[in-house]
Amino acid sequence: MPDLRIPIGIFFTLVGLLVGITGLAAGYHAPLESENVNLYCGISILVFGGVMLWLARRSS
Amino acid sequence: MTLAPVDYLILSLYFAFVLGIGWLVKRRVTTSEDFLTSGRSVPVWITSLAFIAANLGAQEVIGMCASGAKYGIMTAHFYWIGAVPAMLFVGVFMMPFYYGSRARSVPEYLKLRFDEKTRALNAITFAVMTIFSSGISMYALGLLFELVLGWSFTASVLLSAAIVLVYTFLGGLTSAIYNEVLQFFLIVLGFAPLAMLAVSKAGGWTGMASRLPPVMTHTWKYVGDASQNPMGVEAFGLIAGLGFVLSFGYWCTDFLVVQRAMAADSMSAARRTPLIAAFPKMVMPFIVIVPGVAALALSHMALGYSIPAKAGGGLDYDQTLTTLMAQFYPSGMLGVGLTALMASFMSGMAGNVTAFNTVWTYDLYQGHINRHAPDAHYLWVGRVTTVVGVGLSIGTAFLASHFNNIMDFLQLVFGFVNAPLFATFLLGMFWVRATGHGAFSGLLAGTAAAAATHGLTLAENKGGWLGTVVHTFPSTMAQNFWIAIFAWSTCFAVTILVSLASQPKPASELHNLVYGLTDIPHDADLPWYKRPAPLAIIVVVALIALNLIFW
Repeated sequence: MPDLRIPIGIFFTLVGLLVGITGLAAGYHAPLESENVNLYCGISILVFGGVMLWLARRSS
Repeated sequence: MTLAPVDYLILSLYFAFVLGIGWLVKRRVTTSEDFLTSGRSVPVWITSLAFIAANLGAQEVIGMCASGAKYGIMTAHFYWIGAVPAMLFVGVFMMPFYYGSRARSVPEYLKLRFDEKTRALNAITFAVMTIFSSGISMYALGLLFELVLGWSFTASVLLSAAIVLVYTFLGGLTSAIYNEVLQFFLIVLGFAPLAMLAVSKAGGWTGMASRLPPVMTHTWKYVGDASQNPMGVEAFGLIAGLGFVLSFGYWCTDFLVVQRAMAADSMSAARRTPLIAAFPKMVMPFIVIVPGVAALALSHMALGYSIPAKAGGGLDYDQTLTTLMAQFYPSGMLGVGLTALMASFMSGMAGNVTAFNTVWTYDLYQGHINRHAPDAHYLWVGRVTTVVGVGLSIGTAFLASHFNNIMDFLQLVFGFVNAPLFATFLLGMFWVRATGHGAFSGLLAGTAAAAATHGLTLAENKGGWLGTVVHTFPSTMAQNFWIAIFAWSTCFAVTILVSLASQPKPASELHNLVYGLTDIPHDADLPWYKRPAPLAIIVVVALIALNLIFW
């Protein structure tokens, strides 16, 4: 079976980058939230994607 | 809610990956077992996450958030006593029979253990139910995206169905399972931040507790008396009805979830699947229920946020989750949240379609229509069934949008059919003397008892159609719990009585099917964290701790 961690890792790395860059570049704000939600969530998603890729690489 | 290009980009990226996973898996599918049972080769971490993700459909996520706002943290009972104990039971006690019997489906286990008619009854009702739930799931998706984003109902239904069709057609069960894992992570990463933002805005747990009536922030304190809690249930109905009959009936016998564990690559992995799944299941309320409780607290603060009202009066709790997203997520994370919802709708559909496929191909087609074809023929039938299953689901979705009453009625009837099931499996697996005639008549009697209970009792103006009303329940939830209790007890008693009066199968035909005639693996050579018993004990300790903390 193909290692599922690779597609999951790539997917979340890309999503993390997209969301994080949106947080840096666009000044989007939700009505009830003043923090830069996109930046913090983008970084967390990016880290998750990276960990998945690292786990897949380590075991192969 | 308006979306920015980045949200559409994230959604398209998800579609591309889902189809890509189907394409990746396709090359490994050469036999009907690869397609319909994943060839029993999936690693345990994947089967475990798929085991809970198969149940974590979008209706579940939206419904649990809604219940959080409506009933408070008491809703966690649906996870803590309404799922985890049954998951432990199926892993520790039942999986040796499911996996060890080499049955390819739950109905096939019934055929091996009992007889053809018991299998046919279970296979037919299950097949109809899966198509129905898959259609309902699509219908809910179409409605939600129409309401929140103004997308066309038909377009959302057809687009999502087309994508599900392509990836399940290509990769079968493995494709569905892999995408369920992707969906699980999307739900966690997409909704955990929402829970944190909403709770911190509402002043943390203490802030929420100070703004809400005490019953909303306790799970057990107010269940002594049905009139004291918003669910209208009392402790016995809750524990016996939800915690025992309904939850064991679902988690231990529903092929949709059991199929995930049966796809694992070894007996030990199959047993550990529900046990490992119990860990994320236990903390799931913090992601799906707590935001609902926080939403109610937020609506009591002067923030301009409130749960939308229904046209006919009262609050439309089903909109809690999407309105929270609109309040806390800017475009970007909004795209992730919506993609997570879309993913859980789609994988709910895919899960049903793949379970339907296996039951149709092995239990109905191979069992009754064409017994001795070469394997390539069954692989072909499996693929064709995917197309037919998706087509029927689309039909059901459109039917639901025109005839809502039929759907409510069908849901009720399916409830009657499901309620007694666990009694049949319990006796089948742990009592050598149980017979096919016993199981079959027990199931019919249990279903009849469920219908009779509904016909003779009344709750919120539901039921009572038999003319006389013997009892009135404080809520339909309490009524459902008691219907389940009566159905289970009737099935249990009738199965025993009829079994004693009929001829049992000889012991030689019951190897690996019944306790006492099966080698239960003890895994003594495995490290403790790979053995079922220690894992189950850790889960129980954590479960008790959670219940005490939120008592």
